[in-house]
Amino acid sequence: MEINIQNISMTYPNGKQALKDLSFDLHTPSLIGLLGPNGAGKSTLMKLLVAALLPTSGSILVDGLPLAKTDRLLKTRLGYLPQDFGLFDELTVAQFLDYMAALKGLRDPKSAIRKAIRVVNLEKKAKSKIRTLSGGQRQRVGIAQALLGDPPLLIFDEPTVGLDPEERIHFRNLFSQAAQNRLVLLSTHIIEDVQSVCNQLVVIDRGRVLFTGTPAALIEAASGHVGAFWEQEAAQEDGLHITARVNTSGGIRCRAVADVLPPYAQQEEPTLEDAYLYLISREAVQ
Amino acid sequence: MDKIFFYECKRLIWNKFFFGLLLTLLFYGWQVLSSVTILGVSHTAPFSPWSFGDYLSRMIPLLWIGALFFLTFFTSSKARRAAVLTDVAQLSPRRYALARCAAALTGTGLLALFCLMEAALFYGRYFGWYGWGELLAPILITLIPPLVFALGSGWLLGKIRPWLVYLWMLIPFVWMILPLPEALSLWNGSFFTNYPSVLGTLDPAFTMPQAALLAQCGLLAAGACLLVLFPGKNGSSGIHRGKVQNKRAENKAP
Repeated sequence: MEINIQNISMTYPNGKQALKDLSFDLHTPSLIGLLGPNGAGKSTLMKLLVAALLPTSGSILVDGLPLAKTDRLLKTRLGYLPQDFGLFDELTVAQFLDYMAALKGLRDPKSAIRKAIRVVNLEKKAKSKIRTLSGGQRQRVGIAQALLGDPPLLIFDEPTVGLDPEERIHFRNLFSQAAQNRLVLLSTHIIEDVQSVCNQLVVIDRGRVLFTGTPAALIEAASGHVGAFWEQEAAQEDGLHITARVNTSGGIRCRAVADVLPPYAQQEEPTLEDAYLYLISREAVQ
Repeated sequence: MDKIFFYECKRLIWNKFFFGLLLTLLFYGWQVLSSVTILGVSHTAPFSPWSFGDYLSRMIPLLWIGALFFLTFFTSSKARRAAVLTDVAQLSPRRYALARCAAALTGTGLLALFCLMEAALFYGRYFGWYGWGELLAPILITLIPPLVFALGSGWLLGKIRPWLVYLWMLIPFVWMILPLPEALSLWNGSFFTNYPSVLGTLDPAFTMPQAALLAQCGLLAAGACLLVLFPGKNGSSGIHRGKVQNKRAENKAP
């Protein structure tokens, strides 16, 4: 599967421009992390990709065909978890998934439901009413419905919100496995979620693409721009973007990113988080 | 489709609100039967089509509320949040909406059926009367048009604004206090108490003036059209996408 996003712009009726002239391509198999601060336009892009919104200009091609004309076809191949969604509280987990399987037109719903329930670790809750579930469990039901029928395209918008650390690791691994033969798009503002599993990153901020490439390339771009220093040694922090402050026995140790590191800062190996923050902070300055 | 219909019926019917509504309906129905219908209306027998029609007319406001209450399961803000999942599924929005309409219709039919069963019990117990064939005409003419219209119009209003469905629940009560013309007198229940005396015979057979019959047919046709034509036109929620698509057109306007 191949998705080409071509010069997409999206302006909401209230005049807010959510996306500005976005272009990039997505191919199977890959796990793409869509990163950006809150309000960057990630969810809008997700909605455009599932044809829940139509762009103001530009086009999205799925396997060479315009999405606007083939959205029904896309829906047969799509598993989607939006950031904010509701479930039918009156139904049990298994019933809800059966309902979604019917909507998706799955041929063997029983085995698909069993598999989805097992994958999201909800076997014990399969017969529980959805209204009795915790926030994290509801999120897992949302993930399960997206995974139903093993669709070749999976789009997850902030999938790990509300999950505990153990579950987050579990799902990160799950997405990674799923991406071996599928196209998985994972939108998040949590760097940890994409750090270890994504083979491609798209960073957007204020509706524009700041970076597309591998995590290694993003880290490389920040090389020489990450440093650490003792807070008491720092004369001033102009041009520095502090990314961490750690209390130690020797004082407060600061980690920062900057275009030009001050002489008192000791250069450090950038992490993906540093690289991301460097990219965003540089954009903010410009 | 069958499965969607089954689960929607389960959602609508298997809950405490439905049972509360049903109990209220049965309680009110029994009050009407034992205090008004038992006396007969317009000098007709309690089990005449006129008295029975009067009973049904009095039940219409509650049945109307019940029908619209079912629609709130599809139009509420909670339902709209679930629609972000159901809208991206491959089933055509029209078929999905029709399955849901059918479930709402089933729920409404079930409530109406309980009203009829209660009346049957009442007539059987107090009068040993079981001649239901005579009452078929008032059932069809009194119940079906307004309830189909309630679902059709309620669905459309719920798509526009969910709270309009709640406002629409008050319509039968507005009709009751309005001095409607004879053609529309079925809508406020005055037809069954006034028309037999116009006929000038004692305990007349059930007939209807053509204008009133046309008004009911119009109501039924309008309701059916709204149910068949509008559901699913803009997605299963009928709201989310349509709204945005319309707005897109606005955005593109110079």
